[in-house]
Amino acid sequence: QALLSLCLGEPPVPRGLTSNPDLPAQTLSLRWQSDSSLFDLEIFHTELMNVVLNETVAVKADPVTGLHSWTWHSPLPLECTSLSVHIRARNQLSVSQWSPLQTIPGSDIPVKSESYMFPQDKMVPVGSNMSFCCIVKEKEDFKEIMYGRQEMNATRLSRRTYAITVTNQPASGNTGTNVICFSQRLTLTGAVVFVGYPPGDEGLVCETRDLASAECSWKKGRDTRLRMKRSRTKYTLNGRQETHYTRTTDRTHCPICSKVWEENWTLVARNPLGTVQLTDSAQLTDRVHLLAPANVTVVEVKAWSATLQWSWSVAAYKKLEMVCQLRLFTHELSSTRNYGGPGLSSVVLEGLWPDSDYTVTLRCGSKHSFWKWGDESGPYRIHTKMDRPDALDVWMWMDSSNTGCVFWKPLSVRKSHGALDGYEVSQSSAEEDGWTTVSLPPGNFSYPIILNNSSDITVAVAARNPAGLSQPSTVTTPAYRADSQLSVSELLGTNGSFVLSWEPNVNASSGYVVEWFPTGCSGLCPVDWKKLPESDSSFTVNSDSLVAGVRYTVSVYSLSTGAPLLLQRWQGYSQEMIPSQSVSELSPNQTGSDVLLSWRATDMKQQRGFIRGYTIYLANAAHLDLIANITDPEVQSYRVKGLSLSSYKFVVKAYTSAGEDAGATVAIKMEMDTDMLFVGILVPLGIMFCCLILISICCYKKREWVKKAFYPEIPGPKVPGDWSSPQGPLDVKPSPHSLVHIVESPEWDFTKEGLFPVPEEEEESENDNIEVDTDSDEPALLRYYNQVVGDGSHSNQVSDSSGSSTASVGSTQTEITYAGIQSPTSSQGVCGGGSYRPQMQSVAGPKIEFEADFQDDGLNTGYKPQGSWQLDSPEAENLSGSLGSPTSVTSSQFLIPECSEEKPQPPNTWFHNLLSGKS
Amino acid sequence: MEGAADSDTPVTERSAADRAAALARLLHRDCTRLLELYKERESFLSQHAPGGERLVTLALCPEALSTGEQVGHVRSALRRCMGLLECLIVREVEEMGEELEGEYESLRKTVRDRLGHLLHSTGALLEEGEGGCPPSPPLQCTEGQDEVEASGSFAAKIWTYRVLLELIHWTDSASQTLHLFHSEKHGQQQQLL
Repeated sequence: QALLSLCLGEPPVPRGLTSNPDLPAQTLSLRWQSDSSLFDLEIFHTELMNVVLNETVAVKADPVTGLHSWTWHSPLPLECTSLSVHIRARNQLSVSQWSPLQTIPGSDIPVKSESYMFPQDKMVPVGSNMSFCCIVKEKEDFKEIMYGRQEMNATRLSRRTYAITVTNQPASGNTGTNVICFSQRLTLTGAVVFVGYPPGDEGLVCETRDLASAECSWKKGRDTRLRMKRSRTKYTLNGRQETHYTRTTDRTHCPICSKVWEENWTLVARNPLGTVQLTDSAQLTDRVHLLAPANVTVVEVKAWSATLQWSWSVAAYKKLEMVCQLRLFTHELSSTRNYGGPGLSSVVLEGLWPDSDYTVTLRCGSKHSFWKWGDESGPYRIHTKMDRPDALDVWMWMDSSNTGCVFWKPLSVRKSHGALDGYEVSQSSAEEDGWTTVSLPPGNFSYPIILNNSSDITVAVAARNPAGLSQPSTVTTPAYRADSQLSVSELLGTNGSFVLSWEPNVNASSGYVVEWFPTGCSGLCPVDWKKLPESDSSFTVNSDSLVAGVRYTVSVYSLSTGAPLLLQRWQGYSQEMIPSQSVSELSPNQTGSDVLLSWRATDMKQQRGFIRGYTIYLANAAHLDLIANITDPEVQSYRVKGLSLSSYKFVVKAYTSAGEDAGATVAIKMEMDTDMLFVGILVPLGIMFCCLILISICCYKKREWVKKAFYPEIPGPKVPGDWSSPQGPLDVKPSPHSLVHIVESPEWDFTKEGLFPVPEEEEESENDNIEVDTDSDEPALLRYYNQVVGDGSHSNQVSDSSGSSTASVGSTQTEITYAGIQSPTSSQGVCGGGSYRPQMQSVAGPKIEFEADFQDDGLNTGYKPQGSWQLDSPEAENLSGSLGSPTSVTSSQFLIPECSEEKPQPPNTWFHNLLSGKS
Repeated sequence: MEGAADSDTPVTERSAADRAAALARLLHRDCTRLLELYKERESFLSQHAPGGERLVTLALCPEALSTGEQVGHVRSALRRCMGLLECLIVREVEEMGEELEGEYESLRKTVRDRLGHLLHSTGALLEEGEGGCPPSPPLQCTEGQDEVEASGSFAAKIWTYRVLLELIHWTDSASQTLHLFHSEKHGQQQQLL
């Protein structure tokens, strides 16, 4: 075959192909002999003959053995299924025949009938890709492969082998990630893969605690997520396996890494996924980390200092130049003090406060090439001794010319230097020799002073504690100056404080005192003060010692050898508020139509600010109407003018710069002035009465003229025909409460229908242009007559009933309306028992429009038609001459009924009688 | 004195059997809970039950005739379970270290302690003349690994699962047998009285 190949020009077939699988590494090493250096390689899955590799490689022969070797890394575990390999040589012109197949048996061969999964217990880094295969045991079906809780897509490699590939694997849990192969009914087999990180340790630092050995520590870094014991990170330091190390939150320590100091350190951290190497290099003196001082104690305690002592557990420290830091804690305040020296073991703590608790901690470090502070000692408590108190701050306040009070401020803890036992107050006057001393308990901060005579008193006050008596503080009684004796300035607060300034005084050799207290206070007043050096001429009274809405008296005194001298005084509010009470004694006083409101300002304590004025409101139902704003607080009355008779409610409010108070309310009901009432009624009545008398007298004197003017003589009737036959007088009074339409129509039979009563309302609606005074109290008859008198010249007007009746005669188309022809009802029964019944036709024709009224009238025995109209009556043309006289319908003359004495007198009757002189 | 001792003996036996039965019931609940915790950790066990042979069988002893002999048989199985449990603990500590201290690890220790008490109390019952199977040879932990098809972490997990199943099975069996044993003793005592 070789000869044949040579003859054909082919390279010889590679010989002796052998395969050497490395199952954990999933590699297959091939070796063969050949003279060529270029080869084609093919690897199959034996059962299904799927090609997994087809590659041309250039491999040179090993010069020693003459063998060619090449290694293939399989993506799948080599156990998954059987692999077949063959190779051929290649030159530039041709290729050789393939070598015989070399088969690497997998675990899916029939002799291995159980289920298997590969690989087992593999450790891989997070994010890597990996393939798993499941070999199903004989006579068992395959369902799926799960990676953790994830179902994967499986690929069939052989009759019994299925494979999955997982990409970008996440970190495993504590016991790894399970890869399980399931059949339809049970768990066939599985594997566990551990996915984690290589070591992430960093920051190796070595130091010495005893100036001889070394302790190293490093930062642990990222969690490798590999919990299994065999996969945990292993450490070596300078090549030595480190097994005894401790872990803190973020660092790993090996307590004694080396008994001698090595200047160079190398730490190797290794786990199955990787290795990291850390180095450190330093001189021993540069890495001194001292232990904590031991046996810390105080050997001497004084009021203002203490001596602290301690020892070292390492003898080598005694020669070490070190620096120690002492931390003092007292009342939640801390301070640090540094001390230095070789083998430092004691310090004197200066600047302590007497009778105070201190807690001390101590730590030290190497002074040269300071590396870090050593461990801190445990806290040690110190209590200093007591000392005499500081001098008191004393002031004397005079509330009258001969009484006052000496005040002193309580000493703070820092100044009392121990719990106070009490105070000693001594006083002396110029006229008396020696001092009079009284002892007061520690709770007292004032003492009353009485001046028996005009001489000043000097008072000395000292505080006492177990350590002794303080230096006495003296004060001389200042001269009492009432406010009225001074020009007290108004002081305005600034942000709740008083900002004061005054002219410097040359006599203030000992400085100034600013004193403030609530104005008007007496007895135990909260007097406060501040002593200032002579260089100061201004001061701010802070809001802490002031109460808003309280008036303060602020005084400045100059201090010298004698009594304090008052320089200036103010009164003011640190912050003004609205008055807490309204004005008092608010009262109204009516004067005619005016009301005088008067009130009194509220007390000073309730003012809570300077009263700037008053506002007066008129209270209505829901709001207040401002009447006046009085800007002068001294004005405490106001006159409200021009009020009508009604009830009023006034509200008076005082206001400060902060605003108005709630207001005081007063109500008043305006009443009529009785005198003016009488004047207003009686004067017009008197005037009217006089006028009536004058008119009556005048009319009486001129009664003849009045009679001629208004009641001329009525000429007697002239009868043209034969009127001798006795005929009864015709009563023509109109029917009471009726209006009559008199309508003449030639076609109408007068004998059938006559005049119809027309209701007033109907008349009004049909004759809007006719005024009918139905509401008048004037009797209807008189009104009728008056109409006749007033309108007699206009006889053709419709409103003139008598005239109209005359003028309408002969005109069958004219509607005649007797508007207002009425008669008092009382006259009907007396005078003939009936009323006028004209039987004229209505213009509306034969139809009876007001049948009900008509029928009612039929019940009465009134006037019946007695004949036809006298159309040619000579009197019909002039009716004005018949005014005031009864008139016959037929003759157009006024008739005087016989029973006139029983009829109610028309309104003009008495006047007529008066004019005619009848009684 | 002897007579007094004889009169006290039944009462002591009855109460000891009763206590052993109660302890077995408690242990059965503990083992059931231990398996639940293990399934929570290894979730695949909840999907399909792994196949395989029983780890502990009664083939060690011929068929029991009396209840006392049944107690002896169960005790032998529990001793085998105890050996398996101790192997399990050694293996898990070896693998994971003792740093993990969750509910599973705590209950695992409790089961071991209570199983030891149950073996002791049932042994005391058998010493009263009920007899039992001869003691089985001490279990070597390597045997546990040999009994699974493959080595490795997965095989260990399956083996652990089977050990827990055996614990549940035999503690339940012990509970029932000891209850029966207690009932019989109680009945005999009533007949004597």
